[in-house]
Amino acid sequence: MRIALIAAAAAWSLTLAPSAFAQTPPDPAPAPAQDDDDGQLVVDVTGGQRAALPVAVPYMPTPQEESTAAGGTGALGRQIADIVAADLRNSGLFTPIGPSGLPSVAFPQVTAPDFASFSSTGAQNLVQGFVQANGNGSLTIGCYLYDVSAQSELTRQGYVVQPRDWRRAAHRCADAIYSRLTGEGGYFDTRIVYVSETGPARRRIKRLAIMDYDGANHRFLTNGQWTVLTPRFAPNQQTITFMTYQDERPRVMVYELDSGQTRPLVSQPHMTFAPRYSPDSRHIIFSMAINGNTDIYRIPVGGGTPQRLTNTPGIDTGGSYSPDGSRIVFESDRGGSQQIYVMDADGSNQRRISFGGGGYATPVWSPRGDLIAFTRTGGFRIGVMAPDGSGERILTGGGYAEGPSWAPNGRAIMFTRGASAGRLWYVDVASGATRQVPTPLGGSDPAWSPLRP
Amino acid sequence: MDRAAAAGLSLSVVGHVALLALLSFALVRIGSPPVVPQAMEVSFVEEVGLTSASPQPSVEPAAQARAPDIGPIEDAAPAPAPDAPAALPKQIAPAPSPAATQRPAQARPAPSAPAGTGRTTRRPGLGDIDPRSFGRDPNARAANPPAATMSAQASASIAQAITRQVQPCADRQVYPGPGAERIVTPISLSLNRDGSLKARPRVGRQRGLDDENRRYAQRVADLAVNAFVSCSPLRGLPQDLYEVPRGWSNFTMVYRLPG
Repeated sequence: MRIALIAAAAAWSLTLAPSAFAQTPPDPAPAPAQDDDDGQLVVDVTGGQRAALPVAVPYMPTPQEESTAAGGTGALGRQIADIVAADLRNSGLFTPIGPSGLPSVAFPQVTAPDFASFSSTGAQNLVQGFVQANGNGSLTIGCYLYDVSAQSELTRQGYVVQPRDWRRAAHRCADAIYSRLTGEGGYFDTRIVYVSETGPARRRIKRLAIMDYDGANHRFLTNGQWTVLTPRFAPNQQTITFMTYQDERPRVMVYELDSGQTRPLVSQPHMTFAPRYSPDSRHIIFSMAINGNTDIYRIPVGGGTPQRLTNTPGIDTGGSYSPDGSRIVFESDRGGSQQIYVMDADGSNQRRISFGGGGYATPVWSPRGDLIAFTRTGGFRIGVMAPDGSGERILTGGGYAEGPSWAPNGRAIMFTRGASAGRLWYVDVASGATRQVPTPLGGSDPAWSPLRP
Repeated sequence: MDRAAAAGLSLSVVGHVALLALLSFALVRIGSPPVVPQAMEVSFVEEVGLTSASPQPSVEPAAQARAPDIGPIEDAAPAPAPDAPAALPKQIAPAPSPAATQRPAQARPAPSAPAGTGRTTRRPGLGDIDPRSFGRDPNARAANPPAATMSAQASASIAQAITRQVQPCADRQVYPGPGAERIVTPISLSLNRDGSLKARPRVGRQRGLDDENRRYAQRVADLAVNAFVSCSPLRGLPQDLYEVPRGWSNFTMVYRLPG
């Protein structure tokens, strides 16, 4: 009887099988046309691509070749075009065309481009500019952005700078183009403070270093006598705070950029580490270990009495303010594993927002306020999530990565890649495009400055 | 094997044989492979022209066209073929009925043009017979045939022609950032008869803006204009639908990035 039932079931399944392949009717395509309220023909067009935008950047001419402290104006025009093209390429959002190989631009053409010459390159946009020496020793650098198809000007900027700041003018030109073509603020006229590393693993020399975002104008701030970690830029860019193992004891220090002076943040003899500024640059939150328990404290930048913000058993560390200063994100192992928590700026209303396995560390609130970057400690990868813990997304692929730091526009994140011989990289949050930042030695713990004033 | 199992096995074998026979018989009845219908390109449109293509729509077929000059039957009719029905000339050019003569003038306009002028549809051997009247219901009296103006179908056809030409340039536009696909950008376009732009495209009020994508609003507006301008001028649009209501002399293109 059992066999008969199986046979009947098989026969039944044969009769049903074709229905499994029945096609469901496709959804109708969107209507291509309709009429608006004025009775006018309306045409719907949907199109676009997620790709790098081709932008032509020819060399920038000079109305008259003159010698300056930074070199001849003609040479500066070529170098500035190179920097603008490199900045755009570094973002991962653009494919610069040129400067080499493009038609030369005469000075009068800067404001009246020969669009036909550039449309054949495939560029959708065109960057032109000029370098002019002023009588008082300063330089004027013009920067123009055009739409090649529409043959229209999209933006123009002019910068009057001292010759020593010619690179900043180039970065600002690139920022203006980036901003106009993406709708975001730029991040090219910024600096990076980081830990420069060299030497064998057991006797690693770690020095504080500062440079432009693209690696130019590099200099060391400490001599390597003591190991330094976790440097952070003050939003007002007047000071840098970091942790040092001075006399084998972790201490948070404050470095004055103008004077070059360094002083301890707190006078207490306890271990202090993981400092970060408040958005108004008036306070620093940091971790302090007292009697085996580590909590987050707040103190004025100039010193004073630390105010404790957390009070739970375990290690609370890695605090980072929201851009409006109302909340703080931090990491804690109070629940048994290293996870991310959010609290109000006064320490109240603490709640956990991450729940994944493997642990989370080094949370950093985006300057936009919409995302929190972190290190996923399970595989050491960089990710982002919303401040409520939703929408977690991993941005970096295989390989050790840690220590995220946001660009001032909240669109890119710089981080350390490589456990033993680290290098600095950054990733565009939207596109996932990554690029290495050139440093003379190894690098770790990058901190991105705000846009320079 | 006991008797019950043997009986079950026998029943199963018989059942399989019966099933096989049933399926084989069913296959035999399929005499020829199914006819694969010829592929037909179909596009979905909204036939929602807000004004009717026919000002006074009628459910009746269009009235039979009349010769502009109704001459004597013997002049209009060709020499009948031996087997032609005798009533054919009357069917082609019926005498006006009383009901027809009471209709408004525009429904059945009085022939005013002199014979031989303004009519180019006469064919040799047909006399005054309008060949367009073949196949029409000779008793139909409706005087409001469809498509007196640009119909919804024609509107959709024009829109598709424009979309086809703009699409390659729209596809080249680069997505600026998260949420930009929710921005809907209308641009008003004014074209010359040769398909070129008469004026700079004007960006209308964008929809779908929110806190996340507001920063991309201007950029998406740029992309919308660029998508059209890059593929301008338009080619091959029908000249007779240029200036009619809902024609392509002035129209709105609504641009959005793919999600």
